[in-house]
Amino acid sequence: MNTAIRSTDSTDSTGFVSSARPAGPLGTLVAVARYLLLDRVAYCFAPWSALLFAFAVDIAIIGLLPTDHSENHWVGGLSAIYVATFVIGLQSVTKGLAFGLTLGLSRRTYYQGTAFLAVGFAVVTGTVLTALRALESATGGWGLSMRMFQVPYILAGPWYEAWLTSAVALTLLYVYGGWWGLVHRRWGLLGLIAFAAGQTTAVLAATVAATWTHTWSDVGHFFTTLSAIGLTGLLAALTIVLAAGGFTTLRRVTI
Amino acid sequence: MTPTISVRGLTRRYRGHLALDDVTVDIEGATITGLLGRNGAGKTTFLRILAAQEFPSSGEVRVLGATPIENDAVLRRMVFVREDQTYPDIRVGHVLRAASWFYPNWSAEVADTLLGAFDLPACRAVKKLSRGMRSAVGIVVGLAARAEVTLFDEPYAGLDAVARQTFYDHLLADYAEHPRTILLSTHLIDEVADLLERVVMIDRGRIALDADADTVRGTATAVSGAAAAVESFAAGRLTWNRRTLGSHTSILIGSPLTESDRVWARTLHLTLTPLSLQQVVVHSTTGASTGTSTGAGAAGERTKRSPA
Repeated sequence: MNTAIRSTDSTDSTGFVSSARPAGPLGTLVAVARYLLLDRVAYCFAPWSALLFAFAVDIAIIGLLPTDHSENHWVGGLSAIYVATFVIGLQSVTKGLAFGLTLGLSRRTYYQGTAFLAVGFAVVTGTVLTALRALESATGGWGLSMRMFQVPYILAGPWYEAWLTSAVALTLLYVYGGWWGLVHRRWGLLGLIAFAAGQTTAVLAATVAATWTHTWSDVGHFFTTLSAIGLTGLLAALTIVLAAGGFTTLRRVTI
Repeated sequence: MTPTISVRGLTRRYRGHLALDDVTVDIEGATITGLLGRNGAGKTTFLRILAAQEFPSSGEVRVLGATPIENDAVLRRMVFVREDQTYPDIRVGHVLRAASWFYPNWSAEVADTLLGAFDLPACRAVKKLSRGMRSAVGIVVGLAARAEVTLFDEPYAGLDAVARQTFYDHLLADYAEHPRTILLSTHLIDEVADLLERVVMIDRGRIALDADADTVRGTATAVSGAAAAVESFAAGRLTWNRRTLGSHTSILIGSPLTESDRVWARTLHLTLTPLSLQQVVVHSTTGASTGTSTGAGAAGERTKRSPA
């Protein structure tokens, strides 16, 4: 019935390149990632501007301290990029999903492509953060003994451990943000409230269980003996749980 | 032959509201079908379910021989342009670029032509566009995708008359070159009447009319002339509306006329005026909403045959 001609790569008069759909499942996942990456403000500008601003604020605060900077000053500016990653994950659903499904994608393929991008984004961002961590170390904490990228215990080990932990934590935040976005898309504001209440209740239940079973010392022992790599493994397992939760929510989302 | 779109007993129930009620319809092969109906009739819900963006409460939907739900093989051969289509924070050119990555039959040439025809600035962010220009972006995607199943849901909200004509012209030209199954939901029936080969009308969630457009056009006729002659002619027929001014009466007859009917009308010196597609739809829907008796897919009342 359809005699349409397959388009090949070409450039239209507006300078925007159009190309045929990449073949195969991996090609589709790459295409989904490329689609999301078209929002350059979210993926290229927002995380790094947030981090730069946090860095500037930390530098200003440490610079104003009336000390000789002989001791390390631990600051929390790194959290800015994790917050930004959470928001980007959220937006992958709130802004990207509707047109994503219009592009002829199933929910499953869209989610797989989004997860693919989450990992890619986390790996690249984690690499840059690891490089900044090395730079921070080499410059004596930016000349101020400031420790923004060398988080004690979590990002204090060898570079490859810090890189892996960063990448896993960033993936987790992206996927977690996406789940919040999916809950909002499916159940609205009341869903978000219930989602937050459910998580709070789960944490509360775990706390009460630890108290009633007198296992707080075991919990403390577990975390004090857990290595950074062990923690990374724990975060990776949690990421998989969150991704499964997000996908389960997405399966019946309507637009 | 397997219908391109096959819907059986489709029902979509929301809390306290029945959006679609036991809808059964088949659409086969390359055709342009008008999906007509009033606001809230269920047109958008119907199209959203076809595109697997919504789920049916019950019933079966098959597109290109399979369920569209989570079916990439089917979905990549469909495009659904919505009236309320939203986009991420990207530019017009980015929208087209993204679409080119996903639609196997994407035509950069058509996209480029339409971009110029609608005077769309490729470098402008979609969120900065006017309502009409945003609609035009959806139209460009819908036509350039050259998808085997193309669904348009009121695609021209905010578009001016010139831009709408541009859409109709390009739709028809590209359809002639690359025939495909096109379903066009619209309120502007007169504007698209010449495009449509088939008409499916939804009224309050049910199929009120499903016929070839030409058949529908010949369904209803306005009969006017001397009151007694008009009443005599209309006796026993399905009528939708009557107006009397002095000794002159005009009655809308909602059933097809035969050749002998036309000869008789000439004998009675009556004027016969065929109703346009829009008039047929308006009258049949209005009749249905007032709860009068139905017949031949349209509602109206049957006049009593007066003694000859």
